[in-house]
Amino acid sequence: MINRKKLKVITLLLLSLIVFAGCSSDSASSDEGGDSGGDSGSDHSFTIMANLHSPEVPDDKILEVIEDKTNKDIEIQWVPDNNYDDRLNTAFATNSLPEAVFLKNQTSFIQFRDAIEDGQFWEIGQYMDDFENLSKLKDNVLENTKVNGNLYTLYQGRPLSSQGLIYRKDWADNLGLDAPTTTDEFMEMARAFTEDDPNQSGTDDTFGLTDRSDLVYGAFKTVASWFGTPNNWGEKDGKILPEFMFDEYKDTMNFFKEMYDNGYINQDFPVTSKPDQQEFLKNGTAGMYVGSMGDVVSLNNDAVAINPDVEFDVQNKIEGPDGEFGVWSIPGYGSLVMFPKSSVKTEEDLMEILDFFDQMMTAEVANNSYWGIEGEHYEVVDGRALPSDDKALTDREVKPYMAIGIGEPETNGRFESVFDYDAKEKAEKLTKDNENYLIEDPTVSLYSETYVNDGSRLQAMITDATYNYIIGQIDEAGFDKEVEKWRSEGGDAIIEEFNASE
Amino acid sequence: METTTLTAKQEAKEEAKQIKKMKRSETWRRTKRNKMIYLMILPGLIYFLIYKYLPMYGLIISFQEYKPYLGISGSEWVGFEHFSRLFASSEFWMIFKNTIILFGLQIFIYFPIPIIISLMLNEVRHSFFKRGVQTLIYIPHFMSWVVIVSVSYVMLTLDGGIVNAILEELGFQNINFLLNEDWFRPMYILQVIWREAGWGTIIFLAAITAVDPQLYEAARMDGANRFRQMWHITLPAIRNVIIVLLILKIGDVLELGFEHVYLLLNSSNRNVAEIFDTYVYVAGLQQGQFSYSTAVGFFKGGVGLAMVVFANWLAKRMNEEGIY
Repeated sequence: MINRKKLKVITLLLLSLIVFAGCSSDSASSDEGGDSGGDSGSDHSFTIMANLHSPEVPDDKILEVIEDKTNKDIEIQWVPDNNYDDRLNTAFATNSLPEAVFLKNQTSFIQFRDAIEDGQFWEIGQYMDDFENLSKLKDNVLENTKVNGNLYTLYQGRPLSSQGLIYRKDWADNLGLDAPTTTDEFMEMARAFTEDDPNQSGTDDTFGLTDRSDLVYGAFKTVASWFGTPNNWGEKDGKILPEFMFDEYKDTMNFFKEMYDNGYINQDFPVTSKPDQQEFLKNGTAGMYVGSMGDVVSLNNDAVAINPDVEFDVQNKIEGPDGEFGVWSIPGYGSLVMFPKSSVKTEEDLMEILDFFDQMMTAEVANNSYWGIEGEHYEVVDGRALPSDDKALTDREVKPYMAIGIGEPETNGRFESVFDYDAKEKAEKLTKDNENYLIEDPTVSLYSETYVNDGSRLQAMITDATYNYIIGQIDEAGFDKEVEKWRSEGGDAIIEEFNASE
Repeated sequence: METTTLTAKQEAKEEAKQIKKMKRSETWRRTKRNKMIYLMILPGLIYFLIYKYLPMYGLIISFQEYKPYLGISGSEWVGFEHFSRLFASSEFWMIFKNTIILFGLQIFIYFPIPIIISLMLNEVRHSFFKRGVQTLIYIPHFMSWVVIVSVSYVMLTLDGGIVNAILEELGFQNINFLLNEDWFRPMYILQVIWREAGWGTIIFLAAITAVDPQLYEAARMDGANRFRQMWHITLPAIRNVIIVLLILKIGDVLELGFEHVYLLLNSSNRNVAEIFDTYVYVAGLQQGQFSYSTAVGFFKGGVGLAMVVFANWLAKRMNEEGIY
């Protein structure tokens, strides 16, 4: 018979085995690849949750450089971009948010508004002036991120609108087409690229526009602003109404429907992923791409590797039927970082973290986090940065860290990029040019409780209906019915609340 | 007279008590004697307590307006509000219907297939061929749904998919498999069969090997051909196994494979493809409605429990062994 002591040991062992197994499977399933990095001898350690746009967790070489220069011990929880919001909500629901949390965009920010108002995050406006670099952040952008006049977040700057058309210049030249300046010419280009054999292969192996399952950052919203559709919300007869109650929205749907029915657009675009969408352009199946014009660099790099004769060009000003050009804008920030009180316990801790972000905004550290290490990942040419030709290297070691930078070149002093490629230079110019034609979202500074609670669920109904209208599964009456449903299930309340808070 | 009956009654009572006591001490003694054996179920018990029962504590939030920063103790109680919202929502019946239809497909189309394959494999006399086939049909089980759905996507897409290319070559119309809601259910069940049917044969094949060979010999003597042997010996012999597996399957009624359905789901097939699991995920984790999605999950669990109890009762009614 085994004595009692032995029994206890066995039970304990078994128990610890279970607990251990539980833990290990837990950490395996989580996507954190964060590395505490080299111990820089600082006891100021904290964790940042940031989104990862590349498939792999980056090498921690850059992180060590940043840690050294800022004298902080940082851990980064990398979360893949496509399930960032799920993880964020899960961490929030289980009260396990780290000290510094990045929010992907405005939509996620709105979801947290309730918690912010409840005082779950540190108000940082009062400290901004104590930090030399943070105080340089643009006031008008900070204004867009305030909740009831208080500041809770630092922002990562983005151009207000980089939306435009990227197209195959060599195809257009083959067919004698100029860059489209109206939506009709855009349609004509899509038709010609589909039907007139732009690559002169003698077979019918091309189509016009390549799009993906994203009505906002895909082509739809940008084309909608050419037609004059408001940005999310717009004013009609003195009242703020959602974009899909405007005729221009329906015109855009009809425009897409025409392209869809004629095969000028990939037929499975409602289920196409971004890599697949870009692949059509890169491999010479499609000739038009509507999105961020800056993407022309990476698209060109990959396309030339397949076919050296590829030539891209960019275009922004495409006028709608009313002869006006407009383009939707974001509120000047991409992601935002905020600081939960649940993990940042004292003001002292907060100061340490803000100090880190303050140092992230010095030119030296900003360059490290954006461009990498000089001589290894980039060269300085005429006061601008030229990234290394070894794209795989910069993708692996540098690019992910762009996610934790804040501010923009004007405020953090990092280098702008060298224009070694004409289309890129043009894309930058047109992005600046876009600023003269911006369509802004009038609800950025407004508040609606129903929108915070049910907005994304309701929006999903409209998104589905828009796709189904374009591919012909529902007709206009069917679309109107969905809009009615949107209104009755909470949309009317949102309209009312937005109009009341104006 | 009266006193005697009273004492008799009392005596009977006492006796019953005594017996009960004896029984209890008997149980206790036996437990004590076999304590090592009881100890062996401890890890299993602890597992279920920690991972299955403890988390049920969280179901409380379905009766609250749960705010993570207030916690379960601090959140406001709202009673059945989330449940009434679920039953009143226009989506409820759609989701309910979709779930039931997919469940029906699983029971009526998928479930018999491993049995048929097992019976067929059992008739193969060439053992090398038999094992080869068995191994080959197991393999898809080890592929993740992501791979299976992606492969289907690449083959079925309208933009250069091979299936539509072949249809076109043969002079047929292109078929929009991915965006047409009529194709969702066939696609779903075919993928389930492709991945799981082979794996499902394992238990049936094991049950078939346990059949007494003498029965077959006797049947052959009586002139039964192979089909008759299958019908009158093999099938009745594995009937118990089939019924137990069927009950377990019904218990999984609402576990239709979140990952699988979620991957197939898109804007144009949502009407037929949205099921409870995907709805809970979208509402809870993507849109942050923690309480509401917990209520939906709770309801789903309740339906699943009711189905198992019903199936078990049915099995017992038909003079079969249930699972409890």
